[in-house]
Amino acid sequence: MPTDLSVLRARVENAAKVLGRCWPLQSYIAANPLAGLEKLPFDEAVAQGEVLYKGRGYPNVAQLRAAWETGEIDAAHLADRLDAHGLTDAPAQLLDQMETAAETPVPNRSGDGPLNRAMAKWLAAFVDQGQATWAMPHRHEGFYTAWRAVARFDTTLAHRDRLRDLPKRPLEALALALSDVEAAQWETTLRYHMAALPGWASFIKWRSQDRHDAWQGAHPITMTGYLAARLHTARAIGQPVAPANLFDEARGATRNGRDQPPMAAPWLEAWEATYREQLLATLERAAPAVDTTGVAGRPKAQLVFCIDVRSEVIRRHLEQTGPYQTFGYAGFFGLPMQFQPYGSDAQITSCPPIVDPKHRIHETRSRTREETAATHDRWVALGQAGQRLIKSLKHNVAAAFGFVEASGGLFGMAMAVRTLMPGWLRTQQQAWTQHVPSPDTFCDLSLDRALAADQPEGLPLGLSTEERSYYAEAAFRLMGWQQFAPVVVFTGHASHTANNPYNSSLDCGACAGHPGGPNARTLAAVCNDPAVREDLSARGIDIPDDTVFLAAEHTTSTDVVQLFHPPALTKAQAGIVDQLRQDLRTARANTTAERARVLQGSRPAHAVADTERRAADWAETRPEWGLSGNAAFIIAPRALTAGLSLDGRAFLHAYNWRTDDRGTALETIMTGPLVVGEWINMQYYFSTVDNAVYGSGSKITQNVVGNVGVWQGNGGDLMTGLPLQSLQVDDLTPYHHPLRLLAVVYAPQGRVSRIVERNAQLRSLFDHEWMALTVLDPEQGNRRCSYQPGGTWAIPSAEPRGTQDTEPTLAL
Amino acid sequence: MTLSRLTFTQLMPRIYTRLTWVLCFCTIGALVGHAVVGIDASVGTLLHIDGLTLIMALVVTFVSGIVHSFARRYMMGSRHFDRFFDRLFGLTLVVLLLTAADHLVLFVGLWALMGWLLADLIGLIRGWPQAQAAARRARWAFLGGSALLAAALAVLAGQTGAITISGALPRVESLSVGALVGIAGLLTAAAMIQSALIPFHGWLLSSMTAPTPVSAFMHAGLVNAGGLLLARFAPVVAEVPAVMLAVVVLGAISALIAQAWMLVQVDVKRQLGCSTVAQMGFMVLQCGLGYFAAAIAHLILHGFYKAYLFLSSGSVVVMKPPHAETSDAAGLPSLVVTGITAVVGGGVFMWLTGKSFAAPDGGVLLTLVVVLAVLHAARTMLRTTALTSAMRAVAVPLVVLPALVLYALVYNGIAALTATAPMAVDPAGFSVVHGVVGALFVLLYLAFERGWHRGRPRLYTLLLNTSQPAASTVTTHRSEYHAH
Repeated sequence: MPTDLSVLRARVENAAKVLGRCWPLQSYIAANPLAGLEKLPFDEAVAQGEVLYKGRGYPNVAQLRAAWETGEIDAAHLADRLDAHGLTDAPAQLLDQMETAAETPVPNRSGDGPLNRAMAKWLAAFVDQGQATWAMPHRHEGFYTAWRAVARFDTTLAHRDRLRDLPKRPLEALALALSDVEAAQWETTLRYHMAALPGWASFIKWRSQDRHDAWQGAHPITMTGYLAARLHTARAIGQPVAPANLFDEARGATRNGRDQPPMAAPWLEAWEATYREQLLATLERAAPAVDTTGVAGRPKAQLVFCIDVRSEVIRRHLEQTGPYQTFGYAGFFGLPMQFQPYGSDAQITSCPPIVDPKHRIHETRSRTREETAATHDRWVALGQAGQRLIKSLKHNVAAAFGFVEASGGLFGMAMAVRTLMPGWLRTQQQAWTQHVPSPDTFCDLSLDRALAADQPEGLPLGLSTEERSYYAEAAFRLMGWQQFAPVVVFTGHASHTANNPYNSSLDCGACAGHPGGPNARTLAAVCNDPAVREDLSARGIDIPDDTVFLAAEHTTSTDVVQLFHPPALTKAQAGIVDQLRQDLRTARANTTAERARVLQGSRPAHAVADTERRAADWAETRPEWGLSGNAAFIIAPRALTAGLSLDGRAFLHAYNWRTDDRGTALETIMTGPLVVGEWINMQYYFSTVDNAVYGSGSKITQNVVGNVGVWQGNGGDLMTGLPLQSLQVDDLTPYHHPLRLLAVVYAPQGRVSRIVERNAQLRSLFDHEWMALTVLDPEQGNRRCSYQPGGTWAIPSAEPRGTQDTEPTLAL
Repeated sequence: MTLSRLTFTQLMPRIYTRLTWVLCFCTIGALVGHAVVGIDASVGTLLHIDGLTLIMALVVTFVSGIVHSFARRYMMGSRHFDRFFDRLFGLTLVVLLLTAADHLVLFVGLWALMGWLLADLIGLIRGWPQAQAAARRARWAFLGGSALLAAALAVLAGQTGAITISGALPRVESLSVGALVGIAGLLTAAAMIQSALIPFHGWLLSSMTAPTPVSAFMHAGLVNAGGLLLARFAPVVAEVPAVMLAVVVLGAISALIAQAWMLVQVDVKRQLGCSTVAQMGFMVLQCGLGYFAAAIAHLILHGFYKAYLFLSSGSVVVMKPPHAETSDAAGLPSLVVTGITAVVGGGVFMWLTGKSFAAPDGGVLLTLVVVLAVLHAARTMLRTTALTSAMRAVAVPLVVLPALVLYALVYNGIAALTATAPMAVDPAGFSVVHGVVGALFVLLYLAFERGWHRGRPRLYTLLLNTSQPAASTVTTHRSEYHAH
């Protein structure tokens, strides 16, 4: 078997490029399931997704029909788009045609069942993160070796004698398995096998690429190892390694486009155009009043929120309560860090997936608050001991029987309380948190560089003064900060829900699906550092002495904004903070009332109590809507959007074109946060248009597997993407409107144009229509310029069609 | 804003939920009444309401009430919302009637109907082929179980000439051993299918396509019907000692193997499924020992436990760092301390549940299980270094004693309420078989505690493979999945 192994390795890597990545549930990252195909035009990528995964890439007829009937697809825009696609039939007829076409069943990948089942069984056993009491043997030697050790005892494999004498190294084993396949067909064969279980394969892709994951370090898995095991399992089952229909599939996968253009494309485009036209018209009307010179009066307090679409709602309501200025900034506050919470070994990566963490920040107990810490420790130790005892008894071969008898009564009572009195339970929980202090009340963050604490394999602990000044300066420059209020609050966000495996998907996406509080606290501490202020002053950013920086966390499920333990405040600052707390409560009441309108079964009058209940209720599958509805990403000073109701559908990143002559800040925003916005938008899009293939299905039948993901019912492929309940009002009605993201930039068009040209990856996303870009150019009288695939700019006529008779408000 | 396209009246589900709770409170009233007056009630030859009826009815209505209330929020937006509640409430009524059924034909009819409705709920998601396969699997299992039950009761009716349970049971002593063994065998098999004992566990381990609340009701309520069947016909089963020994062995096999299965499972729901098989095995073992009241207590308490764990099955996702698996060889002093604690715990258990120290019977096995649980709890606590040694020392009695008292209350209550029922048979005397089963429990405990299982890939693979769901019920392609 004289095979050039390096060629094979390259084939594996190449084949794996079509796959997206899937993160574990604890650090849920919203990513495009077709991320591997993003270098293709949207339509072609979607067509490949159909061939590879049998996934639908456009909204289905029912979704389009609903949008059409409710007027979310404007007739004029639709006529325009249908015309462009050469479709002449009436809209109603076209919908009927699509309905008929949808009824023809998609042929399934036949014959893969037994192989998929065998692989799913071993993969789940291998990647398990502490669910099983008895883990798969030999895991520390890697997946292929562990599989080799158990597979020879797997009596479900009819020809397991063929697994004797397999090579020790996965690559050699893979070469052996492919020895009957022509080298020219390797890549196709490998891609076919990767796409067979896309959920597991994309999980392996993520894990094998993550250098910081402790589980990958302890039990390594590689794509090569997986494929070697899979192909040899195929042999042991008695299946061909390269199935006969492989080449049909391959032809489909490499075919440019389809026999017929997708009929849904013009409908999607018209749906997008309708929303975008309304949004842009509203912004255009607001633009002339925007003042970016920064001479307005000094606000009492400034609050920096995450760019997350949910921030838009609470910012609007807070601004209405008093002289507050708010900003949008990526919720990791520009700090590429790992966070280690008090009393935990876990290193939480708290920055977006496109950034590599560079620093470690520990939460350590403050010497001045030892007593509070001791109280906390006592209770936590007791709680952990109890949990440990329960788990140990539950899983013991002999002790479980007695344990069930002894504890059953208590479980019965707990069940009754949690089901019948969720609101009361929430009150008790809050009373409990008052009683047991949380770590942020007695802990400091370890900002100081401690060379002694650096571990050879870990990241450096703390931040040097230069690094601190760098991150602080970057934050203010990116947001186009012009003057400082006496109180500045960095507000991260997190979600509190009960019995919800997808809680992490509601946490801060910029913090890799974790709470944003730690980053906010770090940046606040950095900005309060006198050395940092001195540095910044030297660089032209003057922070007045009477300005203090605080940190807070916005709980998106209840809209509570909780300030973290503040540093010493002057009397004036304390007064502002007191007033701010009160105004935050008002803003909360108004925000939840607005949200209540779209939460089934909630009434605005009881909105606060209802959101409290949802957050604590173990029977609630829709605690909040998360980022559902997202459709636009606005890079502009708040003045452009202030006072407008954007219905929680827009990411808002602060940016001031006047303070960024060279465009460096804008370039950072467009290549960083905007790209992450596209990932999130595409996840919501694909999870909505095909919840089975790109989403994770209904929560009511989900089954958490290996503590890393879910599968549906009895097992099989790992379900990636969002559950149905995060996207749909009910089984049939989407809440999220599957629209591609529109980036709106308030800056000179030439500057934006240069940035797009310079950054090939960004340009590819626009050229291939994964998202759209429109500039409002303040230097040309706020004229609207829309980027066209290919690199040209379209400037619509003064009275664009379709806007004359639309309502000025943004009806969702 | 987007409004739901499905119209939910919410009316019937609300009425069902209220009715279930009303039934639950009525049952409590009746139970108190029965405890005071102590007289059974009959409705012609159809129903006979005794202590066992009321106990089971209380459990069923309580768990069903919880599941109703839970599902009104949890299942919101499901296309099958109304259908789900129709089935759930219907099933609750069927099981209630079953606990009271006296007429043999009615009993079989309700038994079959219960199986049919349950299978339908497993396949609630109509568009999902794997859910339909799981429903078919369960339906066939229940049909088989109903046929066995029908055969058993036909023979019983033919041999005794009675058409009611209360009429037939007093006459079983007159039956031939052959007939008794035949009837008891058929009944035991039917109970094993319903309670998913090995080798009839397949339907249960393939049933995770059911929505979570269905699983909760199934594992907390419906698998218990096997225990109800054995308790109802206790005089038949208990008449032949050899049959009782066989029941002990069958129960022990399920208890030990399924508990070992549980160790290797990586998904929450199958883990709970394996646990149910094991606990039902133990419950059947208790029946085999003649401790029918203990079996009823076990299935009630297990029901609460399992319903809770199913309903909270979304809560398991927590960040854990990887760590090497250790199995410690405890030092002699700690062994002595924990050993004494365990023996004292066992003694308290025997005293509280009124077991004789002087003339031990099969109940020794029950005590043994308590001793092992206390031993394990004490060992775990001693290893918890985060607590001060004083706390560790008081923690075990502080936790164990109230737990034992609570259990004893339930057990003695059930024993008292069923004292006049036919299931109150004398426990079987201690035999070699009991000794062997007890020794197996101890051996397995020691083996797993010492880490003997580690480094045995063959055993690991065997356990994993034998606990797989039916092939047709696994969603191997995501495009086959359908949410409604």
